[in-house]
Amino acid sequence: MAQQPPPSRTASVGPPSAGGMNAPATTPGGGQGQNSNQNLNQIVLEYLSKKGYSRTEAMLRKESANTDANGQPIPSRVEDTGGKMYSSTFNLVQNWIESSLDIYKPELKRLLWPIFVHSFLNLIGDFYPRDGQEFFTTFREPFEAEHEDDVRALAPIHEPEHLQQNNIAQLYRNNKYRLTMSHMAYTSLVMFLEQHEREGGMVVLHIVQNFLDVRTVDRQTAGGQKGLQRLLAERNGEQDAPAEDEGIPGHNPGSANMDRNAPTVLSKLSLGPMPMEADLMEDVKAELQDHDSTHPPAGAQNTLVDEFEQRIKREPMDDVPSRDLLPFPPSTARDVAMEVQKVKENRDRFRIEGRTGGVGPGISVTMFTFHNTFDSINCIEFSGDNSLVAAGTAESYIRVWSLDNRALTSPTDPPSYQYSSSRRLVGHSGPVYALSFSPSVAIPEPATNGHSSNTTSPDSQPRYLLSSSADTTIRLWSLDTWTNLVVYRAHQSPVWDVRFCPHGHYFVSSSADRTARLWSTPQIAPLRLFVGHDSDVETVAWHPNGAYIFTASGGGDRTVRMWDIVRGSAVRMFTGHTGNITALACSPSGHVIASADDRGEIILWSLPTGRLIKRMRGHGRGGIWSLDWSVESSVLVSGGADGTVRVWDVQENKESQQGKVVGEGGAGTKIDGTGGAVGGAAVAKSKAKKDVVVSPDQISAFPTKKSPVYKVRFTQMNLVMAAGAYLP
Amino acid sequence: MSVWNPENVVDVAESIGITSLNRDVIDHLARDVEFRMSQVLEEALKFMRHAKRTTLTTQDISQALRLLEVEPLYGYESTRPLRFGEASIGPGQPLFYVEDEEVDFEKLINAPLPKVPREISFTAHWLAVEGVQPSIPQNPTQADQRNQELSAKGPGANSTLAAVSGNDNVSVKPLVKHVLSKELQLYFERICSAILDDSNDEYRAAAFASLRTDPGLHQLIPYFVQFVADKVTHHLRSLFILTQTLLENPSLYLAPYVPSIVPSVLTCLIGKHLGSPSLDGTTTHFALRDYSASLLSSIARKYGPSSSTLKPRIARSCLKHFLDSHKPLGTHYGAVLGLTMIAGADGVRELILPNLKAYDAVLQEAVRDDARAEEAGYVIDAIKKALDMLGEDHAELRGALGEVLASRMD
Repeated sequence: MAQQPPPSRTASVGPPSAGGMNAPATTPGGGQGQNSNQNLNQIVLEYLSKKGYSRTEAMLRKESANTDANGQPIPSRVEDTGGKMYSSTFNLVQNWIESSLDIYKPELKRLLWPIFVHSFLNLIGDFYPRDGQEFFTTFREPFEAEHEDDVRALAPIHEPEHLQQNNIAQLYRNNKYRLTMSHMAYTSLVMFLEQHEREGGMVVLHIVQNFLDVRTVDRQTAGGQKGLQRLLAERNGEQDAPAEDEGIPGHNPGSANMDRNAPTVLSKLSLGPMPMEADLMEDVKAELQDHDSTHPPAGAQNTLVDEFEQRIKREPMDDVPSRDLLPFPPSTARDVAMEVQKVKENRDRFRIEGRTGGVGPGISVTMFTFHNTFDSINCIEFSGDNSLVAAGTAESYIRVWSLDNRALTSPTDPPSYQYSSSRRLVGHSGPVYALSFSPSVAIPEPATNGHSSNTTSPDSQPRYLLSSSADTTIRLWSLDTWTNLVVYRAHQSPVWDVRFCPHGHYFVSSSADRTARLWSTPQIAPLRLFVGHDSDVETVAWHPNGAYIFTASGGGDRTVRMWDIVRGSAVRMFTGHTGNITALACSPSGHVIASADDRGEIILWSLPTGRLIKRMRGHGRGGIWSLDWSVESSVLVSGGADGTVRVWDVQENKESQQGKVVGEGGAGTKIDGTGGAVGGAAVAKSKAKKDVVVSPDQISAFPTKKSPVYKVRFTQMNLVMAAGAYLP
Repeated sequence: MSVWNPENVVDVAESIGITSLNRDVIDHLARDVEFRMSQVLEEALKFMRHAKRTTLTTQDISQALRLLEVEPLYGYESTRPLRFGEASIGPGQPLFYVEDEEVDFEKLINAPLPKVPREISFTAHWLAVEGVQPSIPQNPTQADQRNQELSAKGPGANSTLAAVSGNDNVSVKPLVKHVLSKELQLYFERICSAILDDSNDEYRAAAFASLRTDPGLHQLIPYFVQFVADKVTHHLRSLFILTQTLLENPSLYLAPYVPSIVPSVLTCLIGKHLGSPSLDGTTTHFALRDYSASLLSSIARKYGPSSSTLKPRIARSCLKHFLDSHKPLGTHYGAVLGLTMIAGADGVRELILPNLKAYDAVLQEAVRDDARAEEAGYVIDAIKKALDMLGEDHAELRGALGEVLASRMD
């Protein structure tokens, strides 16, 4: 470590003495000088009184009162105390906010974090390393819960040149931290700061003016978000999370327009399903008719044609993306078969209709546990037809298994080849971080002599697999020959995620170089570059209609962004996560996106309005690796590092929220309070230990035996498949 | 003030021949080293997160260095966490070092090759069946999950949900029964009493007819399975029909419950004493065994494809009982029947044939004993049947072979 000189040291080699200059003032002038100084004053005063210059004497007395015993002037302005000024100022503001009115406190508290960061950065920038560290260690504690990662990233900054090289510091320095507060709160803040101008008010005002973008709103008009009810709820320590428009990106809630004067309107989205190609539709209809005549529907079931017609009819024509803008290769017989099967499954599926009578639906979960992995599996992926499972490993290879123990064959195999139900794909030169199968639907083998088998026909298998790796490449593998077909190179850093478009042909990748890229399988250069994230793009997801993608990042950014792939521009941006975002999933209905972070929080966002729907907590720390929606978009399932699969109710919880606020305002609290008082202490204790509170939206949680869950997936029939590695 | 000890900077400087360094320079360098290290660590954490791990490994550090365009450190590659030894070089001055084993080449070359690590493989199990976690060995027990927060607490939490998922705590304990509707409960009670009532055959027949066709019974399946398991030793025949009717109902999905049904059926197939000999006669239980064998084979046919371990498990327990000569002949009879039904001709060839010679002694003895001669006859019949099956299979095979040969001749 020590032999490795860090890169670009030139900037850091300053004159060493510069460091000493500003080191805390060690008083020059020893004891001797002090004495003579004191004596001199005494002599002059005696002289003046003897001469009867009483007014001059009074003046001298008054002026010399401002010096301390050493004869040094006592600083009256906090700015003159050098590095100490930020500590005293921060203390001042903190105390004032603590003692301010309860209705303003939650808003004003949000102010502390940016002031803390900028005070610290200023200290370092002005070369007070010692004071900076002291300041940081004294005041970091209240922020560690919410800004854990940022605090950790800022802690090692000691020198001005570190400011240039630290990501987080750059973010805060070069952007304005946006904060919304009510008019009255802001006014009282400014008044307070002006009153205490000399004790540090100016320092804070300076920070607020230079680095903050404070928006003031009228509390009445702001309603919900900043309303009194919400504030009352927050007062009880209910939740302390950043507002949707707070933070570095500085944007109106949901909007991707980062201009400071951006209008509050959101761009229009086409969230309907992609219309079907005319030829394909004809073929599918003919096929369905054929099927209906050979297998007449049982009992009360619809005919397949009816089912299909219904689906087409339901599509509103105004918010569907145009097919012309997004070219696809012509459909094949396989596409027809897949569409037919989708219609069939749509009819025969076990439906999950959301809450019935207050109890969430019962979900069945099949768990696939991988053994003997030694923690070397990075990602697991199921194919759409549930016939294959693939795992990407830290040892740079990919392994594909057949789930029904079928031999995986290839036409190029030598005759002596020993068939087995798994294959290795070797080609990457770095850990494999993501895999994605081309779309496929399980097509059951046609029934032979009245005996329907459980096996699926071999041509329903996906034909391609994409993989992304730390070696900065993405590879396309053929699942017919089990060989590498294409290597896509353009990313400059490890590629964290890759996803096939729900209709195939296109795919999107995201990388540590802070970009996401859109590709089509036949071309080796990216078609679109999605630039805007301020740190690694950790994960990507497709909108079900294939016209939009979602990206999410970690580090200092922590936003979810939605991009139009035709225009290549951002159309939505969502802020509110406090951890690195680890998983994304868009609902099949196309109206809600769910994002999960490594602090165990899941947030649902509404796409049309661009607003947060709700936060759901329950997972332990360490990352929620996968999310998926039931086919009806009524239930969300998640799996994570805490080794649990959890099922969530996604419906908006209007009535319970209302009830809670009423309860807290009225006498209901008391009953609740005394009732819970006995158990309260125990709960508080356990909370401190586990710091996980399960929100009431959770329907159920299923723990595994020491197996972190890497992947959860709803099949077309609403069965959950989960996969994880057993780590004893 | 920094975590990194400035003395280390002095040491490194001296090692490359710089003897006098300004104190400020040393402090500055120490602070800088700390910053660079944390930079590397931040990057390494990303790699850890994307590998879905919660421990940082040396590979993560190498990857991070590569990303920062620094030559990685070689020689520390290990998939296991490194072990550090601690030595003291003075009071309060611990020195940490990587423990490096000394390897004797001679020994290493002559030692047998280490075992190949076991292959990565996967197993599947039900983590949850319709919202309830089954208590099977693959799932953690209640004791294992005590330190995890599984159910929602506080205002707004739905206690029914907790009960349904089996995580109810002591203070709120609604009975699971309450997810069953009143009608279903009533229905269940009626059916049970009808089945246990030996006097009224008509009543019972009606109950079975209803079970066979009613599509809305799904929620009751676990209760019926439990009912059968509880009462199987008392009311053999009717419970059997109950199981069969459930299996026949086309709208019920029984796959998750098969493991709990099979033991009851197996009991009737290879149990030591079935019914009371004085009441029913000594040989009536053979009919029951016949019946359970056919039921078992129908279960195996229906659910064998979805559960790869079902058939081998049944076959194994049958074989075990067949080979145990201390078991009564009735058990042997059931075991032979079961093996024939489950494993088919191949099973007979592989499992029964090799053991027949040894079994012959047991049979001889039984035939000579008058009290058991009749039972022995049944067993011999069963074995004969199995052998017949083998013969048929042979004939088929021979036929097929003949065809192939014939086609060759053309």
